[in-house]
Amino acid sequence: MGMNDGGGGGMGQACYVYPGTPATPGRVTPDVSFSRGIYMNGSMLMDDGRSVTIWGFTDLAAGGGGGMGGGGGAFPSPAIRVTEGQIVHTSLTVNMMWMHTIHHHGIEPSMENDGVGHFSHDVTGGTYTYQWKASNAGTYFYHCHTNTPLHAEMGMYGGLIIDPKPLATDPVGTKRAFKNGPIYDVEAIWACDEIDPAWHTLDWAAATCGGDAGLNNLNPKYFIITGVDGANSALTAMAVNMRVGQTALVRYICAGFHPQKIDFGGLTVSVVASDGRPLPAAWSTKSIEASSAERYDCIIKPTTTGSYTVTVQFIHWITGKVMGTARTRINVT
Amino acid sequence: MDRRDFLKVGGAGLATTMMGTGILSWTPRAEAATISKTYYINDGTRTMPDGVSVYFKSFGDSPSALSLPASHIICQEGDTLSITVINRLLKTHNFVIGGLKAGDPPLASTGNIASGATGKITYTIPAGKAGSYMFYDNVTSYNRFLGLHGGLAIMPSGSSTTLYAGSPTFKANKQLFWILNDIDPALHNAVRLNTTIPSTFTPRYFTINGLSSRPPGATSHGEPLIDALYDPRSKLSGSVGDRTLLRMLNAGMCSHSVHTHANHMEWLTNNGTVRPSVWKKDSLYLRNNLGKIDAIFPFAPPPDAYPPVTTGHFPMHLHDEMSQTAGGGLYQFGAMTEIEFH
Ligand SMILES: [Cu+2]
Ligand SMILES: [Cu+2]
Repeated sequence: MGMNDGGGGGMGQACYVYPGTPATPGRVTPDVSFSRGIYMNGSMLMDDGRSVTIWGFTDLAAGGGGGMGGGGGAFPSPAIRVTEGQIVHTSLTVNMMWMHTIHHHGIEPSMENDGVGHFSHDVTGGTYTYQWKASNAGTYFYHCHTNTPLHAEMGMYGGLIIDPKPLATDPVGTKRAFKNGPIYDVEAIWACDEIDPAWHTLDWAAATCGGDAGLNNLNPKYFIITGVDGANSALTAMAVNMRVGQTALVRYICAGFHPQKIDFGGLTVSVVASDGRPLPAAWSTKSIEASSAERYDCIIKPTTTGSYTVTVQFIHWITGKVMGTARTRINVT
Repeated sequence: MDRRDFLKVGGAGLATTMMGTGILSWTPRAEAATISKTYYINDGTRTMPDGVSVYFKSFGDSPSALSLPASHIICQEGDTLSITVINRLLKTHNFVIGGLKAGDPPLASTGNIASGATGKITYTIPAGKAGSYMFYDNVTSYNRFLGLHGGLAIMPSGSSTTLYAGSPTFKANKQLFWILNDIDPALHNAVRLNTTIPSTFTPRYFTINGLSSRPPGATSHGEPLIDALYDPRSKLSGSVGDRTLLRMLNAGMCSHSVHTHANHMEWLTNNGTVRPSVWKKDSLYLRNNLGKIDAIFPFAPPPDAYPPVTTGHFPMHLHDEMSQTAGGGLYQFGAMTEIEFH
């Protein structure tokens, strides 16, 4: 794709005089940095053979997409993974045809670095470097915060994990959920999301100047886990494979807009953290009801072998009816 | 736990300063008092962010002016509520104070109030009832959505800084109601025209304390009577350390995810029940149809800022992003307010 390819995002104009992009305040040399571009013409193939247009972020450091936005890219967007205490730079490059931002959801930086489009500032025709400190280990995600109902629905999100600093007393390679938190052997990130194909043909600036683009009414037809169709494909592609005696950490992210209920197929999980904060006491449960953007860190230590089918129900925000279900498995040998 | 076990004897009345309109200001009293309030059940129209005029009903402060939501009541355990409700509309209405916990019977009710009639509640609040309440009309399942709702805060006797006796504390006079509603104009029109009530709802407008937001650059941005970002009833405004109690009530038909930027909230109660322990959350699941959450916004320096900051402005918005629209578009003209660290 060339730089003038409008991709799936169209070329519409956003309305209002939005605040301009400042220089990053108090910019320092970071401990770790990420360089993101955008793509506006990706796709996801569903189990029924249809494909849906997806937008997302590319990894410019890995040569992804050139940042001009016309092509495709990974879905979800490449994860950001850092260590507690690090100063992080996330730079976002967007050409002048579009506006986007990166909001690191659950990360609480200064307002200039919060990435709230139309409110702090959007990125267009250049690069902004978000500077923040990874203060609390845990599970987060990052997403675009411009015309957010549309841009997040289109797929502009990725995982964001802060690992604790290694303890001097731990053997090298020990993985913990947070400082002095539980040790795990196997890890999964389940970002559960719903897709309404009717939204996936809209312009990036749809209805920001007014008009009815139907953004009040999300009627999903597909139910996915971390970018994989939850009808069938996620049963294998997103499965956790582990042995009796091992410990799994499942990072469950409610990445959709409607409420969800995740059921662990009869297994009892120990929820040790939520929204990037350890719980005062672990919560044992077989299921979790969650609303948009909540995260739950679940420790699983199966004592018997078996294949446990995990279901995620997507619940209509008004009627409470189950609109669809995504499935994966925990296979214990 | 039974809150009664933690009741303290009132009497440590602290001098407090009255705050601007909208903030729930409160001076505890050693003696119980009678709290008198008159509401007028009335109707009128409001202009939505896309210019559409929508019909509402309210428990108004005056015979003719809409109050969306109704003016709140704040009182303390032991007080007597003396509430007069005058029905100025043609249909029968009522005024019910919902129970503290999900499934509890109503605290008090006027019973049905016929057109032109007056309803009364005289109710002495027993000990152990401190918390956040919604009052509303439940003659029909949808009257609440039309605007007939408001908030009641019952303070523990003698306290200006706790939600219930022994709760985590907030700063005196730092408490807000966030009352959410979702508006399907087809329903409001059907009520106005006395035609068949729709069997399904698709809300097109989303409000916090009766208003939708106007983002920077939009007409009316910053006007406190129009822009939910700057409505003093809604806006979280404080300096570091100004721990603020948020009494979230969902009058509407949609379940929501309440998401604060800048700080995690300390989650105290869910649907009136005290949580077994306080979780720190950036997103909270507020159920539709009378869901309630109490939480404290700590006004701590944003923990991930580098260099550190103590000032700034941030959004509180609902993360079910459909609620951030008006008329099917107009992103950021929905249920959202501002968090200002000054
Ligand atoms: Cu975007
Ligand atoms: Cu978010």
